[in-house]
Amino acid sequence: MSNFHPDLDLLTDYAAGSLALAQAACVSIHVNHCRRCQRIAGQLTDLGASLFEALTPVAVGDTQLHAVLARLDDEKPLEYARNKDDASATPAILQRLMRGDFSDLNWKNIGSTLRISYLKTGDPDHEFALYHIRAGGRIPEHTHRGTEMTLILEGGFSDVNGSYHKGDFLIRRPGDVHAPTALQSEDCICLAVVDAPLKFTDWKFRWMNPFLKLRTA
Amino acid sequence: MLHVTNTYDGDPESLIDADGKRSDEWSECLALIARKEDRAAFTRLFRHFAPLMKAFALSGSTLSANHADELVQEVMLKVWQKAGAFDPQKAAASTWIYTIARNCRTDLFRRLQKFDTPLSAEDVSDTQDSEDAFVLLHQKRSRDRVRALIRELPGEQAQILAKVYMEGKSHSEVSGELDIPLGTVKSRVRLALQKLQIQLER
Repeated sequence: MSNFHPDLDLLTDYAAGSLALAQAACVSIHVNHCRRCQRIAGQLTDLGASLFEALTPVAVGDTQLHAVLARLDDEKPLEYARNKDDASATPAILQRLMRGDFSDLNWKNIGSTLRISYLKTGDPDHEFALYHIRAGGRIPEHTHRGTEMTLILEGGFSDVNGSYHKGDFLIRRPGDVHAPTALQSEDCICLAVVDAPLKFTDWKFRWMNPFLKLRTA
Repeated sequence: MLHVTNTYDGDPESLIDADGKRSDEWSECLALIARKEDRAAFTRLFRHFAPLMKAFALSGSTLSANHADELVQEVMLKVWQKAGAFDPQKAAASTWIYTIARNCRTDLFRRLQKFDTPLSAEDVSDTQDSEDAFVLLHQKRSRDRVRALIRELPGEQAQILAKVYMEGKSHSEVSGELDIPLGTVKSRVRLALQKLQIQLER
């Protein structure tokens, strides 16, 4: 059970289907593992259904009905059964995007403690990346130029605001500065979805800023 | 336009039979489709839901009438194909159908914007799969409450909820469109959710 969750605004946009694809993917991994958020998302979806039923109907002709009736015998598309995520397995969405497991990914080393692997979601406005921080490793202090969602998949990390563990969902807004440090006991893998590149404030790493670009799609 | 006509007491969704099963017309139609490929039941569903889907497709969006018709057909076809997966213990028929419509609309938008993605809206939507009787009862109560209370929302709150849900607009898009500050949009949504007793903590 996690202690940090998406807020109600975010869950509302999620239930309404209006979140960007990469963000929705990140929120859904948390929601599918968190009973509390599942319950709220369920209520918010029921609310959507009530609003849907209250719409003023727009006439649909019989031609349309007959067109659909004529297609009922079409072959069903192949649907891969959505396997239910269990707490120990890699979330199904990531499995779809990864082909293989974490060790098969193409990782880019950033210094000695951090490596990053970019996954392709097709969302043109958001970078969707896995961060692997070595146990006890520290990510240089950085600030956020945009919004960053982080979901902890394995291990945990801490920063000046607190410490976070598997399943926790965090959101950082523009201007938030922090320097997360992975827990001493194990490596940390988290998913980060950002709409603008990070900016290092730690003077030793500032030289990298001009090279940090958003890697989307 | 919000136009709520169903009354709480007469709401067929609130009927529960002795086994605790939801016995309303739309759940029965879905069961008939799943069990017997019943076209008459499908036609009843179509006549009720297709006009709502078309309204949903055209809500504040840039979809053309042709795309709206295409969406209605696609959603109704999915309803037919997936009816076997509907479980009346876990969800209201209307919520299940709305979820398919919402996901198909999002996918259609993405197709029109030429997104190249391996993920569908369904892949990233939540799965309501609790088996726990207490949780299911709680969900059912909350659903009935939302239906009853939604008619009592002040117009400005109902308007914003409709924009967020039916038009699929983010809070900041709603703020730009209605020319009111983002904070006001957020507080109106929050007030509305409070009135509907959708709470973060039990």
